[in-house]
Amino acid sequence: MGVLGESVVRVDAAAKADGTLRYTDDLPFDGLYGAVVRSEIAYGKISAITFDPSFDFSDIVIVDHRDIEGRNANVVLTDDQPFLAEARVRHIGEPILLLAHRSKRRLREAAAHIMIDYDAQAPVLSMEESLALKQRLYGDDNVFKAIHTVKGNPPDETGLYTLEKTYTTPHQEQAYLEPQSMVARFDGGRVKIIGSMQCPFFVEAALEGLAGEKIEVEQAPTGGGFGGKEDYPSLIAGYAYLLCKKAGQDVKIVYDREEDIAYTTKRHPSKLRYRSRFDSTGKLHALEVDITIDGGAYVTLSPVVLARCVLHAAGFYDCGCIRVDARAVATNTPPNGAFRGFGAPQVLFGIERHMDDIARTLGLSPAVVRERNLPGAGSVGVSGVPIAEHARLRDLFESARNESRFDALYDSPAPHRGVGMALFMHGAGYTGVGESMLASGVSIVLEADGSVEIRVGSVEMGQGTLTALPQIVADALDLPVDMVSCRTPNTAEVADSGPTVASRTVMIVGRLLAQAAGKLKTALGDYDTPDGYREAVARYRQSGAPQQFGASYEQPADILWDEDLFYGNGYEAYGLGCYIAEVEVDPVDYRVRVVRFDAYNDVGMVVNPMMAEGQVEGGVAQGIGYALFERLVYEAGRVRSPRFSDYTLPMAPDLPEISVRFLGVEAPSLGLGELPMDGPAAAVANALGHALGNAFDALPITPETVEEACR
Amino acid sequence: MQITCTINGRTHRFDCAPESRVLDLVREAGMTSVKAGCGEGECGACSLFVNGRLVNACLLLAPQIQDAEVVTLEGLQEETAAIRESFAEHGAVQCGFCTPGFVLRAYDYLSHGGERSEEAIKAALDGNLCRCTGYRKIVEAIVKVKS
Repeated sequence: MGVLGESVVRVDAAAKADGTLRYTDDLPFDGLYGAVVRSEIAYGKISAITFDPSFDFSDIVIVDHRDIEGRNANVVLTDDQPFLAEARVRHIGEPILLLAHRSKRRLREAAAHIMIDYDAQAPVLSMEESLALKQRLYGDDNVFKAIHTVKGNPPDETGLYTLEKTYTTPHQEQAYLEPQSMVARFDGGRVKIIGSMQCPFFVEAALEGLAGEKIEVEQAPTGGGFGGKEDYPSLIAGYAYLLCKKAGQDVKIVYDREEDIAYTTKRHPSKLRYRSRFDSTGKLHALEVDITIDGGAYVTLSPVVLARCVLHAAGFYDCGCIRVDARAVATNTPPNGAFRGFGAPQVLFGIERHMDDIARTLGLSPAVVRERNLPGAGSVGVSGVPIAEHARLRDLFESARNESRFDALYDSPAPHRGVGMALFMHGAGYTGVGESMLASGVSIVLEADGSVEIRVGSVEMGQGTLTALPQIVADALDLPVDMVSCRTPNTAEVADSGPTVASRTVMIVGRLLAQAAGKLKTALGDYDTPDGYREAVARYRQSGAPQQFGASYEQPADILWDEDLFYGNGYEAYGLGCYIAEVEVDPVDYRVRVVRFDAYNDVGMVVNPMMAEGQVEGGVAQGIGYALFERLVYEAGRVRSPRFSDYTLPMAPDLPEISVRFLGVEAPSLGLGELPMDGPAAAVANALGHALGNAFDALPITPETVEEACR
Repeated sequence: MQITCTINGRTHRFDCAPESRVLDLVREAGMTSVKAGCGEGECGACSLFVNGRLVNACLLLAPQIQDAEVVTLEGLQEETAAIRESFAEHGAVQCGFCTPGFVLRAYDYLSHGGERSEEAIKAALDGNLCRCTGYRKIVEAIVKVKS
């Protein structure tokens, strides 16, 4: 049937476009609304909680940490983060009490009549203060995780140039359009969770600890995630659960935009010091990278984000000696977490800016310097093993450079205009042997009418899971795509196929589904036509054999990973990108406009070109936002810009035509979701450097910073 | 206070506080195509028509729809059919949360004789946020709506 590689229309498009699809807050609901009472200080002890005696709290459901029957710990990688603060608070907005009432208005009034007193201590608000141990927040050194790795030996320095530069990247807000929302349904003592999330089994695991029993978790249609609904929903599900259990009624919590921006996880800010040695041709001989990322108040996912920083820190460039020292530190700011790219956009901004800085130092073209450092058959990457993608990377680079006419644009700049490039990779799936630890499984079920139902925990959050996975199964069975559908992810009903993160849905879960479909096909025997298929199904079902087929992940034998040495195959495979941006600077108001953007990608076989293009265009838009628009202002540990009027996202007129090309055509399919977020910021910054002859080392690059650079 | 208006041609009466947002009232009346995205008129996800004008329901208070004719996407299914089909066909729908707002924006634009050029359409979309698509497919879908 050849449904793989076809732009099948999304199965959920019609219901989304006519407004009938019900997201969490749209579901029929007759219960209480929940609210969170939060810390007003960044660091200190709670000394007293006073309920205003003049206010009648008798009809308000109130929960504090003493109501927790299981463990008061949201276990992500470690158990340092409580659901509700007990004695100490570590960031502004940390939850202390939960309230519920049928009337939102009365809920607000009740919250206003609770006074919390603190013994405040001086908070740690920057990475520098954290490393200087202004306060001891975590362990002995405030470091959540440190990674050090050295590959190769220092070069003979004769005749080498040295360049040292520091690059910084800021917080970034996921800004999914649907705010965090969760419902806890009460059914005769049992609680079921339904809500907006990427990882139903993560939520189930977190609630199992909190409740001391298994809780059924179901994903509702989810209006975007981008990583922001990876780990955070476990917390809000916990709040809804606790209120529901105490009230004995359904409870719904929906954040408003301010609450969502101010207190949920963000992209980690980073400080990146690159020190390179290179010769007069631009060839790299040594690279030292020092990375610090701000984890915020609790560990959450920071160690894994940090590992991804390290694995992408040197890009895929050929360099005989690479040293990376990296750390994630604690501060008294709301915890940071997953965001599309997961550590890679930060360091790829660093290395790709640095390649341009080397070019500028030598008076060479950025394309020439990149070409000199393309890896070859013998080149090894930061984790010490050969870069298997070297030929694909060279093809991609040459196509992008030639077709975009990069050299001609670079050599003849127009006034106030410039062109910039970023060449990068993104590890697809989990790092190292992480995938094998998930032990992902999938399941498909043959229905009586011959249709097939996919039962996996992978969710649709806008990226196209509900369409792409059926395409894969339909292709394996030679069926029309509308014969295959996905069951709503519900932890009681589907296989745990791992979280919907790390560009692994099509690559890992899709591959397992193709294997499961292959088993079904073998069981059915030969068929050539749809009628033949139906007959085969009827025969098979009469035999009484199992209707359910599964597959589970097995680590390929050639994937080696030593976490202690940070040695081996950082990933099973990499997606590749070469992005080229052309920018124009308004000489009057210093506004930067991206006038053209070419995105060349190699992600192997593309399952659905139209959806894949949409992923790249959307990722590029987020990347341009990261480069030029998106700025969160923190003041004394509090987000001072928790609104879309302050935190500016790109709108339609702010974006150029984005031309998307896919060069990889061969199976397998690699991860696609995160790659397009990685390159745009460096490409835009480098283009701006070309336009103005100045380096732009800190994101975002706003009109104010451009004006300053031009002065 | 008592507020009376029509929503999609049917009379609705609300007993509500004067500071109630129209966004919440229409959603409570079952019109869940109207989404709460930002609460301050920046994203356009809560777009609806009041007396023929496309507005953000999050910025309107209850008294502002007294005696008004309110129309949401639920009440414009036939009129927006070609637009919705084009959105689906051209990949302009991803997470879908912003989509009803974009469909109404496109309907308003096209029914007022809006030019089918990419630049004009981009400018017309300035009040609507989409975090998924990068807008290109939305613009393309509107250019290619079958008339």
